[in-house]
Amino acid sequence: MAEQMRVTFQDELEQVEAALQEEGDYVLRALRAAVNALEQADAELADEVIAFDDEVDSRYFSIQEGIQSLLARQTPVAVDLRLVLAMLHTNLHLERMGDYCVTIAKLTKLVSDAEPDERLVQAFEEMGQRAEQMIRIALDSFQRRDLVGASSLVDLDELIDRANRRAVERVLDFGDDESKREWGLRMIIVSRCLERIGDHAVDIGEQTAYLVTGEFREFTDASHQAGG
Amino acid sequence: MEADTMNAVAPIEIAQPREAPRSASDREVVFETRGLTISYGKAPAISNVNLAIYRNLVTAIIGPSGCGKSTFLRSLNRMNDLVPSAKVEGEVLYHAQNIYGDGVDPVEVRRRIGMVFQKPNPFPKSIYDNVAWGLRVLGMKDDLDGRVERALTQAALWDEVKDRLKKGAFGLSGGQQQRLCIARAIAVEPDVVLLDEPASALDPIATSKIEDLMHELKNEYTLVIVTHNMQQAARVADMTAFFTLERSESGGHGVLVEYDETPKIFTQPSDKRTEGYVTGRFG
Repeated sequence: MAEQMRVTFQDELEQVEAALQEEGDYVLRALRAAVNALEQADAELADEVIAFDDEVDSRYFSIQEGIQSLLARQTPVAVDLRLVLAMLHTNLHLERMGDYCVTIAKLTKLVSDAEPDERLVQAFEEMGQRAEQMIRIALDSFQRRDLVGASSLVDLDELIDRANRRAVERVLDFGDDESKREWGLRMIIVSRCLERIGDHAVDIGEQTAYLVTGEFREFTDASHQAGG
Repeated sequence: MEADTMNAVAPIEIAQPREAPRSASDREVVFETRGLTISYGKAPAISNVNLAIYRNLVTAIIGPSGCGKSTFLRSLNRMNDLVPSAKVEGEVLYHAQNIYGDGVDPVEVRRRIGMVFQKPNPFPKSIYDNVAWGLRVLGMKDDLDGRVERALTQAALWDEVKDRLKKGAFGLSGGQQQRLCIARAIAVEPDVVLLDEPASALDPIATSKIEDLMHELKNEYTLVIVTHNMQQAARVADMTAFFTLERSESGGHGVLVEYDETPKIFTQPSDKRTEGYVTGRFG
């Protein structure tokens, strides 16, 4: 019997998944703007990033509500159940990414009077691009149920982790230079935020892997990190 | 990349994720019961039910055995008239008119408010004649073939029966027979279709077809379904009414406990009794 059944349920699942992709687009937008605001020391744009988080949050809540309704009303099982659970986690990961963008924007505002270190700003631009690429791959492989794409996030995350460590070393190199100390300390947190966005992208990849395989596992676990 | 505002980064279009659900209270009221009490002999079966049913929604009536859900449903098209001892107090307003009022013709009521029963009950006639029967009785004889085809199509049965319309209805499977009964009910162009446990005699696949069909039909009709299958109510209904049996010296009678949008009933019911029933803890 090949004909489509439970049409309404399938429609509702698709709607929630579409909303999730939309939330992902919003996060990408917030990230790009947060990094641009940092690069250009643009406090006004930083404010927009902060305000824009309400849009991400409203998607987050409506997805949460949609998932609650699906669970309460439709008793999803098998692949449908895995999709609902994977969306529940992914939704939270995206929302957290949005929060990191807000943190970057707030820090940008705090240091808008300080003289930036060009090399580090350049490094953040690259980290931002990497984080953006990871979000795109995470969203795309979720959508295509692409295990290979999802797994590739681990290696990309390693690059962003390294960049984070280099950023910290760079700030340590400021040493006693008081004019850069405060800026540098705040930038360590910016670097950390970008690095965490990468981690959440990997986590979305893990949700894709769960959705495809039905197995609960981490790509790498904290005690046995790939690389070092 | 130059980016002086977020709009320069990417245009901010706040797309609505989906059409905002209209709250039921914005909708046209089809039925409103006021102080509805129905008794068989001296014992009330349901007591003081106040409930509004909204147009183009699926409204489910759920509750434990004996809570009076079928009695309530049957009161909406005067099916209880057929039970000699049944007594109706209060009002059932259909588009603001009391269907138990003086001078109301129960046959006209039942033309506008059709009914489908638990057990498929086709007539011992051909598939075609089952659907055409009500049309002939009511004198809706123009384009009879077209009307029969439309009803069978709406009931998602046409493709399965179009080559054997003159064959007997009993040759159909249980699920097909039930869809035939739905086709028979909607052929006469009613306003409301009442469904009393329409899928409880069917296998899961036939059940699923009936449920999908209800989602289609609500675009054109107002549907009220009684079901003892809570999950079915959760899946198909927009609004859900929970009835329970209130014990009393004379045995007990059904009361309406809670009536709300279905997601609310199944995620955060207001009444402990509803919660007890939907979680399966008691009831």
